[in-house]
Amino acid sequence: MLFHINFKSGKPVYLQLVDQVKAAAASGALQPGEALPSIRPLAEELRLNRNTIAKAYAELESLSVIETLPGKGCFLKQNHSPLRKEIRRKLLIEEIDQAIVMAHHLQVPGPEFLELIQERMKALEHKRRANEEHKEK
Amino acid sequence: MNSPTPAIEIQHLAYSYGKAEAVHDLSLRVLPGRCYGLFGRNGAGKTTTMKCLLNLLRPQRGQVRVFGLDPAQAEVEVKRRLAYVPDQLAFYPWMTVRETLDYLTSFREHWDGKKEQELFDRFGLDPAKRTDALSKGQRTQLALIAAICPEPDLLVLDEPTSGLDPIVRREFIETVIGAYQEGQPGSRTILVSTHLIAEFEGLIDEFAIIDQGAAVLTVEADQARERYQRIRARFAQAPPTVDLKGALQVRLEGRELELVVNGSGPELLERIRKHNPESLSTESLTLEEIFVAALKS
Repeated sequence: MLFHINFKSGKPVYLQLVDQVKAAAASGALQPGEALPSIRPLAEELRLNRNTIAKAYAELESLSVIETLPGKGCFLKQNHSPLRKEIRRKLLIEEIDQAIVMAHHLQVPGPEFLELIQERMKALEHKRRANEEHKEK
Repeated sequence: MNSPTPAIEIQHLAYSYGKAEAVHDLSLRVLPGRCYGLFGRNGAGKTTTMKCLLNLLRPQRGQVRVFGLDPAQAEVEVKRRLAYVPDQLAFYPWMTVRETLDYLTSFREHWDGKKEQELFDRFGLDPAKRTDALSKGQRTQLALIAAICPEPDLLVLDEPTSGLDPIVRREFIETVIGAYQEGQPGSRTILVSTHLIAEFEGLIDEFAIIDQGAAVLTVEADQARERYQRIRARFAQAPPTVDLKGALQVRLEGRELELVVNGSGPELLERIRKHNPESLSTESLTLEEIFVAALKS
């Protein structure tokens, strides 16, 4: 997969990598069992410190998004969060709250915000389907 | 929890050349495995600091510790575990590249021949060439091969990319740091001084900005980018008088307002929002912009 780093986004670089892997996994662009780029070539390609990439991969591993097979590399795992459902809900609620605050500041009213969420979910579903069809061919 | 012995610990270091004070009360600490940047203008005291770490200069005040040891007391032990690439490179001019490396290898307990070959291939350096016939870029490449192949615990690089063309600079950074950190990332520590900060943007974990011999700012790179932000706002009419206390820089042009802030971003954003701007955006400063902002304010 191809990563994009933006130093100006204000988001720590390792989190940018984490989020991009999560997004690729959610959209099906990265399939369970598929390998992530290994650390050194990726560090050189993105001109990053390997510590940053190692930190991102360690974070993804602790979230059970990927697994490391010693000597083989890192692979996307089947989608099984080890966290209990209530914890998963809590984590999601934090993110949703942030988006709601953002919507308030950007003066997007509630109904429009809900519509947007549905639209984004459809867009992701669409991407997933496109990736799956592509895989079947 | 025991924290690991810092690879480098400098406390209240001071050093003067005659009346000219080069370093004045500098303190910093570098933990093992970090890539630490020492940023400063020419004459800020970067090279003097590095020379104190290597016992090339004796601190006049304060103390330096490398791997927890005093470089003046345990010079051999310290130098066994580090490699230093100075800003002024000197090789014996009559030796070839191969002879130079063989000579340098003889001082080391350990030499990774595979890494040496890999770097030769990457750089396209000719082992049979005499060192006095090398270009500036090739001399730097040779010095870096010599520094990395012993696989030291600490790599001290003094302005490694100055005077090199952009292609060589890119190559240097990608290859050298990657090759050095491979293996045991936990203990491979880098201290690099430079004023060409943009090139090290993604490589630096943590840095100190030094000015007139003292640290102005020591911070983690991600944290610095979070704290130093540029806020842009545009209003429907000429901007109202907003309380901009806490901004490092303010630019006002017609209906537009641009601020540079250090840490007070959320608070200022809140104040600006109250005036209902047409548009409002923030972005992080790059390390180079942070450097300029820290020295100007």
